[in-house]
Amino acid sequence: MITVTDLKKTYEGKVPTPALKGISFEIKDGEFVAVMGRSGSGKSTLLHQLGLLDRPTSGKIILNNSDVLALSDQKRTIFRLKELGYVFQEYALISEFDAWENVYLPSLALKGTPDKKRAQELLELVGLADRLDHYPNELSGGEQQRVAIARALINSPKVLFADEPTANLDSASSQTVLKLFLKLNQEFKQTIVMVTHEPEDKKYVHRVLWLSDGLLEKEEKTGKKY
Amino acid sequence: MKDIKTAIFIAYKSLVKGSKSTLLLLVFILALSYLNMMFISGILAGLQNVFETTMINVLTSHITVGPEQEPEPKQYILNADQVRRQIESIPGVLATARHYSLAGSISFDKDKNGITKSVSGTIIGIDPIQEEKVLTIYRLLKNGQYLSPTDTDQIIISSALAGGYGVPAPSDLGGVRAKDKVKITYPNGVIRTYTVKGIYDDTIGIFETFITTREAESVLNTYNSASQILVKTDLSLNTLNGYEHKIKLLEPKLKVQNFLDILGTVAAFLNALNLISFIVGFISVLVAAITIFVLVYINAISKARQIGILRAIGIKQRIVVLSYVLQSLFYAFCGVLAGAFLVFAVLTPLLNRYPINIDFGYLSLVHRKMVVVLGTISLVAAGLLAGFVPARIVAKKDILKAIWG
Ligand SMILES: Nc1ncnc2c1ncn2[C@@H]1O[C@H](COP(=O)(O)OP(=O)(O)OP(=O)(O)O)[C@@H](O)[C@H]1O
Ligand SMILES: [Mg+2]
Repeated sequence: MITVTDLKKTYEGKVPTPALKGISFEIKDGEFVAVMGRSGSGKSTLLHQLGLLDRPTSGKIILNNSDVLALSDQKRTIFRLKELGYVFQEYALISEFDAWENVYLPSLALKGTPDKKRAQELLELVGLADRLDHYPNELSGGEQQRVAIARALINSPKVLFADEPTANLDSASSQTVLKLFLKLNQEFKQTIVMVTHEPEDKKYVHRVLWLSDGLLEKEEKTGKKY
Repeated sequence: MKDIKTAIFIAYKSLVKGSKSTLLLLVFILALSYLNMMFISGILAGLQNVFETTMINVLTSHITVGPEQEPEPKQYILNADQVRRQIESIPGVLATARHYSLAGSISFDKDKNGITKSVSGTIIGIDPIQEEKVLTIYRLLKNGQYLSPTDTDQIIISSALAGGYGVPAPSDLGGVRAKDKVKITYPNGVIRTYTVKGIYDDTIGIFETFITTREAESVLNTYNSASQILVKTDLSLNTLNGYEHKIKLLEPKLKVQNFLDILGTVAAFLNALNLISFIVGFISVLVAAITIFVLVYINAISKARQIGILRAIGIKQRIVVLSYVLQSLFYAFCGVLAGAFLVFAVLTPLLNRYPINIDFGYLSLVHRKMVVVLGTISLVAAGLLAGFVPARIVAKKDILKAIWG
């Protein structure tokens, strides 16, 4: 599903910062993978490259058999819309749209007609069936994050990326979100790549990629089957 | 198509849920710009209208026919009544009148003490009956009465020449009134004394004296001639140039001019008005465009994060830009609508009912179709451009930078 080869990213600036120094790994279809490591080790940077939100300095990324770095900006945008789901650390909802509209917007952009039914089902799945017409400022942090997850799933992406999706949530909300991920992975075989700094989140995933100072330090199998 | 649908959806939600104060401010500014543009152009066109109407009514009528110029300039049109009948046979010609133009020096002894003041001016011989159908001097009398065809020892003179009305000029006669006696010395040596029968309000400050045709022919020793024939037409049936052309076909040798040709400097003045109106309109559009630009830019920058998120989840840049352009289109539409309401439903009817009294007429707003269409289009276009540019600047930003700054 994902093949990364010798991925490097150096942030240009007064002092160039090498954030990824040559990373290679593979993620299989249906896998639930955690990316862990100390703060500043390059986790977000890696996810941005995988999520096509940034362009790496060098290396290769194959996503669902496409050499995504060879795509034009326009094609990358369509790829994001169609094949990828992305959940940010902060709740990244559009404040002028209610929960339902936030979720079905990407389906409108992809097909020209909003998939309102699926959006409703997804909001039910994330436990927000009764919050359809709430605007982001009328939702709690955990609820907003679950809306963001529903939005990421609306176009049935091949991979769901999540960058510390629970960092801003209390432990109860965090559990809800993580259990949701687990359910998505187990029931719908959703491939998930999640950045986290909570060691105990390991129990949900099949594998952990440990980053350290821009390098892949080790890959840890948790023993869970998928 | 799906891009357009998505953009419409985003624009619609932004408008409905977005800041109402920004919306109101934008619409207000656009409405004011529109008002400003239409008011200035309307008032200048109104001014021009009043001016032209005055000229046509008191001075030149629509078309003036003069004597032959080739092979050598003649002094008079001969057989003037026959020429008039021919011209009057053209469909749309309402009336004609012949004029004798004479120069002369008018003297007035105001205090009857032998000290006279002399002023030179144009003396025009008219047939009072014909004249009423062409010029409206007879309606503009300030004092005394209009001429009748048999008056040979009476004249009427313009208020500017008479003096004592409005702004006093050192060159006027110092206050002639009806029943006063004045002496006119003609260039051919004829000197006659007349009783002033009336004073008319010339409104534009010309020194003119009217005598009857009969008197003019006696002074000049001519018959059935004319220095000019004035032609009044119905401009809803044909254009000025159209009438000119038809008269030239009938009377190829005579000199045919329309009122704009005759009023050379005045026409230049009217052109200057048009230029001013254009410049004011342009500045209005520019100010509106800059204001919209700034407001949309600030609005877009404050929403940079949202725009970044939209692009991160796979909304194309051009959809984002289009959604902003659609919003600007909506602002522009509302602004023009509000402005048009103010101009056409409030201000114009108001000024039609209570026109502004300026010295030479009553001023109200005159809207030329082309100015209205062009002004509206340019304001909407400016609004669109001013919405497009900032949206594009913000939408082109790097996604991660847009989200996290
Ligand atoms: N836009 C940027 N410009 C320059 N340097 C950057 C930029 N973003 C990240 N870095 C640097 O790259 C390195 C990796 O950053 P990254 O955000 O990937 O770390 P992280 O593992 O996600 O950390 P955290 O757990 O704190 O989120 C850090 O040293 C950081 O300072
Ligand atoms: Mg991070």
